[in-house]
Order: sequence, then C-alpha cells, then structure tokens
Amino acid sequence: MALTFPSVEWMEEYKKQINSSEGYKKAGATWTAGVVALVISAKPEIGINEDFGMWLDLHQGVCREAKKVGLEEAQKAPFCIIGDYTRWKQVIKKELEPVKGMMQGKLKLKGDLPTIVRYVKASQELVECTTRIETKFLDE
Amino acid sequence: MPYDASLNFVFWSPTKIVFGEKTALDVAMEMETLKCKKGLIVTDKDLAKNTDIPEKIRKALGNLCVGIFSDVEADSGIHIVNQGGKLGKELGADCIVSVGGGSAIDTAKGIAILLKEGGKLQDYAGFQVLTRPQTPHIVIPTTAGTGSEVTYVAVIKDHLEGRKLIFGDYNILPNVAILDPKMTEGLPPGLTAATGMDAICHAIEAMHSLQREPIADGMAFHAIKLIKEFLPRAVGNGKDMTARGQMLIAANMAGAAFSNAQLGIVHALAHSVGARFKVHHGLANSILLPACLRFNADACGDVYLDVLSALGVNTESIGSDEAGDVAANNLIEFTKKLGLPQRLRDVGVPEEGLKECSELALSDGAIVYNPKFISDSEEVLKVYRQAW
Repeated sequence: MALTFPSVEWMEEYKKQINSSEGYKKAGATWTAGVVALVISAKPEIGINEDFGMWLDLHQGVCREAKKVGLEEAQKAPFCIIGDYTRWKQVIKKELEPVKGMMQGKLKLKGDLPTIVRYVKASQELVECTTRIETKFLDE
Repeated sequence: MPYDASLNFVFWSPTKIVFGEKTALDVAMEMETLKCKKGLIVTDKDLAKNTDIPEKIRKALGNLCVGIFSDVEADSGIHIVNQGGKLGKELGADCIVSVGGGSAIDTAKGIAILLKEGGKLQDYAGFQVLTRPQTPHIVIPTTAGTGSEVTYVAVIKDHLEGRKLIFGDYNILPNVAILDPKMTEGLPPGLTAATGMDAICHAIEAMHSLQREPIADGMAFHAIKLIKEFLPRAVGNGKDMTARGQMLIAANMAGAAFSNAQLGIVHALAHSVGARFKVHHGLANSILLPACLRFNADACGDVYLDVLSALGVNTESIGSDEAGDVAANNLIEFTKKLGLPQRLRDVGVPEEGLKECSELALSDGAIVYNPKFISDSEEVLKVYRQAW
C-alpha cells in the first residue's frame, strides 16, 4: 500500500528501508556527526498544515530513531535540511541531488557543509532508500 | 557545448557593477542610492598600513563614513568578524564598504550578517539559512582574482575549533561592486599573476562543473579570453590601466560564472593545501590546474576544447580525447611566462603532507561538482603527486 509523503507511517518505513540498506550501512559506517533533521515546509493547500520535521538519529550506518518533530525542535539537530514539499518530492524522485540542492539554494542547510560533503555517497544512499518506498504524493 | 534536455539551472547575479578608472571615488553616490548614511569601511591590515587606498575611500565617503575597521588578515576568522561587528554596532553603521581582496570581502559579508541579525556568526553557518536581505554592502576590490564581490559565499575560519565555516546565502551577495582599475595599480607582479590565475581557474572550473550552464559558460569563456590577453600585460606593467581594468572585469565575470555553475577538483585541492600549508590560494590553483585537467580529461574533453578556443588555440586538429592534455600544457607555458612556481614542492608543501590534504579535499564543497565523481582519497592523492 502506498504511504503518504510526508507522514509518520512514511517516516517509519523510511527508517526500515535505511536499516535494511547495505549501501547505506557501508557508506554511513563512520558517521558519528549526529542527528540529521529533514523539514518539509508547511503547504496548507495540499494538506501540510505545519512544518513536518523528520528527526533521523543516524549513527554508524544505522538509523537508531526516527520521530516527527516541529521546525523549532528540528533546528536543534546538528544538521537541519529544510525545503519546500516540491523540492523534497524532486529529491525522492531523484530529480534533485540533495547536496547540490543545498548549494543551489533549493534546500536550506543549517550545519557544517564539509561534513555533509564528506558523506555525499551516504546521502545518495539515503535518497536511494526513499525510492524503495511506495509513495503517495499529496499533490498527485 | 554539452547541454541536453535535462538542462536545469538557476542563474542569480543581482550585484550592480560599476566600472571605470577612479569610479571608487564615486562610492558616496552608490551609498546614497542604497539610502544608507553610515558606512563602515572594512579593509585589511596591509592595505591600511602600506597604501593610501582606505584613506582615499574614507575621504570620498566624507560624512557618510563612520569609521574604518582595518584588522582583517589573510584567512579571516570569526574573532575578526566579531570585532568588526562590535565596532559597526557601536558606530551605528548601516552599510559596509569593503576594500581589499577576498579576505576583506568575506569578513565584510560576515559583519553584514552580524549587524543585521545579531547573535553569533556560527549560528548562520550553512546554506540559505538567512531569511532576509542583510546589511547593504559595497565592494571595492583591490585584486583581480577572487570574484568575491559577486559571489554568495563567505569562508571564515573558526581558529579555536580549527575549521572553516561556510556561509552560502543569496542574502549576502554584495549590492554593488565598484571595479576601479586604479585600486589594483599597486599590486605587485607576483600577486597580480597569482590572483589572475585564481580567476582563470574560476572560469575553467565553472565550465567543467557538473552544474555548467550556458549563461555562466558565456561569462567564463570571455573571462578566459580576457585573462589570456591581459594578465601578462598587467604582470609586465602594473600601470597599464587597460590591462588592469580588463582583468578586474575578467575576475568579476569568472566570479559570477562560478557562483552559479560552482567549481570542481582544482579548488577542492587548492583549499586543502591552503588550509594545511598556507599556500596562496591563487598559486595553489595555478599549480594544481594542469594535473586536474588531465585527471578530468576523459570526462569532459569537449569542454576543454572550448577552453582551448578561449585560450586562442586553433582546435581543428585536436580531438576531445586529447584536449585536456593540450589545455594543461598550454596553461603550464602560460604560467611559466608569468614567472609563477610550477610545483607544490616549490611553495612549501612537503610530500608527506599530501595524504592528509587528500583526505581534507574530500570534505570540500567544490568537489561535489567535479565532472568525475570522487570518493576515494587515493584518486586525489595521485593528482596531488602529479602536481608535487
């Protein structure tokens, strides 16, 4: 069954996909830089009434916890990536590479870019994990 | 040019450009246009100590100048930005006028953030974090190389933590860049050559970047043509105002090109030897460029044919598979004529330091856009060894 993006169910499935990904396990094996929060900005016209933050506690190739948070909480994470729904949809559809998206201003990054760049392969694997989720987009 | 149906880009370069001899003296008019009344000049120690340029700008601003902050050093740090921000606040500054090279301009971008947002500069590290235009900023470059007057990035060192903080935000793009050839007249030949090579690297990297696009390519192509023609003249005779002016334009165009199309391996490697062994950025770029072109040659030979055309080489008999090598050889001859060092070993980089630099380079934002994907430090090390 297709899961709506963004939703708690989608996020839980994402955690499962990350933890079953051999590619991410390898590429993120040395990641100890902390939580990465992904924030989908509110877009009431399609039903996202408030900013939807996904708090991903990533550590050494696994996702230890995934929980829904608000924008304020998300910004407490060492890495917080914020974007419009449309941008995140482009990421999931592999039309926008996230690190490049940050540098082009399509996604906002609060945190240390060099650390993210060092793990560009891991970020690609994280995107790959999203493609394995049967996703229902709110605007389709 | 290798564009296809997937071409997709944003080109953003809103900085007003003012060009001409003695236009720096019109800085007050530019400030008035921005509706500002209290300008803080931000400049570097050397410029303040060894030239009369900051003083000339102060005089040109007259009552619109509330003070000069002249403590900027090479590799500017957070502590310097904080000092400048504190002074700016005390003086009630509503506009920054930066006078200098990349370090002064980047420091001014940081001060512009502090004056508008307050708090700690570290809180704004990242990309596109700011939500509103920052303190108005007029730039008067005194070198022709960094292009920082039209870029949306500032790199400021956190000396306590031993790391570079990167601020990438459209809101820190300077409002006005005044390109006055007289401001670069006193730059010595060696620095003129090194900063000019920084500019040509910006142009070439913008062209081979994965984010290359037609507008940036056009600017980069013309920048290379100008640099090929006018850099030797500016190095040979610093008082050649035509050459100085064309170099300022070239550096500016290359800056706008790379600010949009991004960079690649040359800068990633140059930043690392700069950070680790304090090699002048332009020199590091100049030395590393040929080895990097050879490394990328099989991924973007067609781009390097265009680079060769811009360098004035007849490319009719050159295949795209050999274009990288030919371009590398051409640039080596060019830099030899400019009197620049050719090897990393000539600028104080020890062979045993290359491995550490290779690891560092993998964390540099520029590497993301290199036409060849690089995730293995051994590949980087090979390029360093070629240039060593």
